[in-house]
Amino acid sequence: MAARSQVVFVTGASGLLGGDALRRMLAADPALRAVVLVRAAGRWERAAAELGIATDRVAAVVGDVTRPGLGLDADARRRLARDVTVVVHAAADVVFSRSIAVARAVNAEGTRHMLDLAAAWPHARRFVYVSTAFVAGRRVGRILEGEDGGAGGWVNAYEQSKSEAECLVRASDRDWLILRPSTIVCDSVAGTVTQYNAVHLGLRLLYDSLAPMLPAAATTGVDVVPRDYVAAAIAALATRAGLAGRTLHLCAGAGALPVGELLDLTWEAWSRVPEWRRRAVPRPVLADHATYRRFEEAVEETGDRRLRAAVRALSHFVPQLALPKEFETAGADALLGGRAPAVQNYWPRLIQHLVSARWAVAVQGVAA
Amino acid sequence: MSTRCPGIAGIAYALPAESRSVRELAEAGQLQTKPEVLERFGFDRVHVATEESPYELAARAASELLEEQHVDPASVGLLTYSGPPGTLSLTPAAEPWDAAAALATTARFKYPGTRLQYELGLINASVLGVDQLACSTLFGALRVARSLCATEGIERALCVNAEFFPAAAGREAVFNCTSDAACAVLLERDAARNHIAASVHITKGYYWDGDARKSEVVASYFPTSKYAIERAIAEAGWSPADVDWIIPHNVSLRSWELLLSLLTLPNARLWADNIPRRGHSLAGDNFINLRDALDGGAVRPGQKLVLFAYGYGAHWTALAVEA
Repeated sequence: MAARSQVVFVTGASGLLGGDALRRMLAADPALRAVVLVRAAGRWERAAAELGIATDRVAAVVGDVTRPGLGLDADARRRLARDVTVVVHAAADVVFSRSIAVARAVNAEGTRHMLDLAAAWPHARRFVYVSTAFVAGRRVGRILEGEDGGAGGWVNAYEQSKSEAECLVRASDRDWLILRPSTIVCDSVAGTVTQYNAVHLGLRLLYDSLAPMLPAAATTGVDVVPRDYVAAAIAALATRAGLAGRTLHLCAGAGALPVGELLDLTWEAWSRVPEWRRRAVPRPVLADHATYRRFEEAVEETGDRRLRAAVRALSHFVPQLALPKEFETAGADALLGGRAPAVQNYWPRLIQHLVSARWAVAVQGVAA
Repeated sequence: MSTRCPGIAGIAYALPAESRSVRELAEAGQLQTKPEVLERFGFDRVHVATEESPYELAARAASELLEEQHVDPASVGLLTYSGPPGTLSLTPAAEPWDAAAALATTARFKYPGTRLQYELGLINASVLGVDQLACSTLFGALRVARSLCATEGIERALCVNAEFFPAAAGREAVFNCTSDAACAVLLERDAARNHIAASVHITKGYYWDGDARKSEVVASYFPTSKYAIERAIAEAGWSPADVDWIIPHNVSLRSWELLLSLLTLPNARLWADNIPRRGHSLAGDNFINLRDALDGGAVRPGQKLVLFAYGYGAHWTALAVEA
């Protein structure tokens, strides 16, 4: 009997990771076909064109992860049940400033809806959940790949909701694989940014002299990864056999750069911009968390509207800097044949890109 | 062979007779922030010149200083004067607007520094005006004086600063309540005490329009202040732990506590006695504080001091002094 051809169902295909991961999977397996979940008709065509994916091997269905059954009609559900062999659930709300109710609706309940639906798909043998390394929340120290996250609480609702989603995945009877990327900052080769996030906002506030203090020691590692590394890792691992019940960190791990070195690289790159250099923007002071909290309170009480908005925006993620952690990457490194690209190699390109692209309007949305 | 080391031989200051509480200022509409917030930041009273002119305060401080230090006026080789333009300095603080109009006449050339040289009998002192450094002006004047002591052989320099706000004007600058005052500092090339071990001056022109760049000014305050103080400590050959006292400009205690925390210095090292009773002054409150700390016995000979001030507009300055 001929082996059933692989059909992968991808959520978040028009987002930061899902589309690029799918492009790589299609390139690696000419027999692979795919179905992508999109929120609006036409959205996938635009994303596919940008990604250079031929749409003849990919079908799009319109749905919404926040609705039971993903809001799919009966016909779509019947076809998916018949065809799908692998699920890659990458859809997420990645805005750190969301309330827990909003973040949970997409990230946790969305995962529950995906799991419930996939439970009725007899051929779907693998459920890949794209999580985040920061489900570790407020924990410090070495974070092992197999450990559950968030025993000590979380810094923001994104982390909490992703941790809750992981619990749902672990509790399911599927052949699940959890992939935990670190914070994605850019493409490693060009330094370009596909989706602006909190890191880019933080860098913008540093550039604008609106982030004078960070709650970190100079030696605290900042774990970031390039988007292409994570997309390639998802593509390589999604259909690989023998990974049932594994959790893998797609992180810089031991290669994370200390805050002090990251600031050195950043200031060195920006200092080549004459307009910025003559402003003599001071490097942020590195403070303990208690001092930083007092600074936040002082700004809240006395800062003007712009500074208050900046500090509030930072408050959704900079506390992570006060919680030093090193993500174990042994499992992922062994499976992928090496570590994530060295941060110091692509960080200057990111910094240059942000300046030349003027951060794009998208950053403003993160601060909202 | 004796080593010649410029130092602060003496300090005197003059305050207006009238003082007002933060609550009274709020009732008179002279504050932007609620009085209870300013009280939480450490402010209680400020001095307000209603009858005195800035010059009268300056002359009082300078003549008291010469008298206290038994200084022969003819031995002073340099007088620096800092404060409002001449016509404003010579007019009572309650009447600034006519004085401003006089800038259009030759009255603008009636300079308070020159008048002070004559009235104090400083016959060998050349006069320099030092201005545009806001609350760090007296530091700038001392910097010039110290340099001229070294290069021109001047034995004594008298640095005088008098600052005021019109009596009915707002009394708050970026959450700080301000006093009118004058301060005079005598710098001697061979001072017996208060040797200046290091002097750091940083200007960032990007922040010249503090009102337009208020967010950036507030944000840049802490990292640059920390840098200036640490540099002064390092240039003096000290470590932060060596510092016995931080002699502050009298801005809010809240901001000082934050800055001390960043410097990993305990709050107890801040000589903060004058913040509630005097508030902040553009006339050189660090030096007023140093005088009071010396008089009160808090600062003892040989102790290591750091004087730090931020001048709005935008200057950061720190002085390392061995008492």
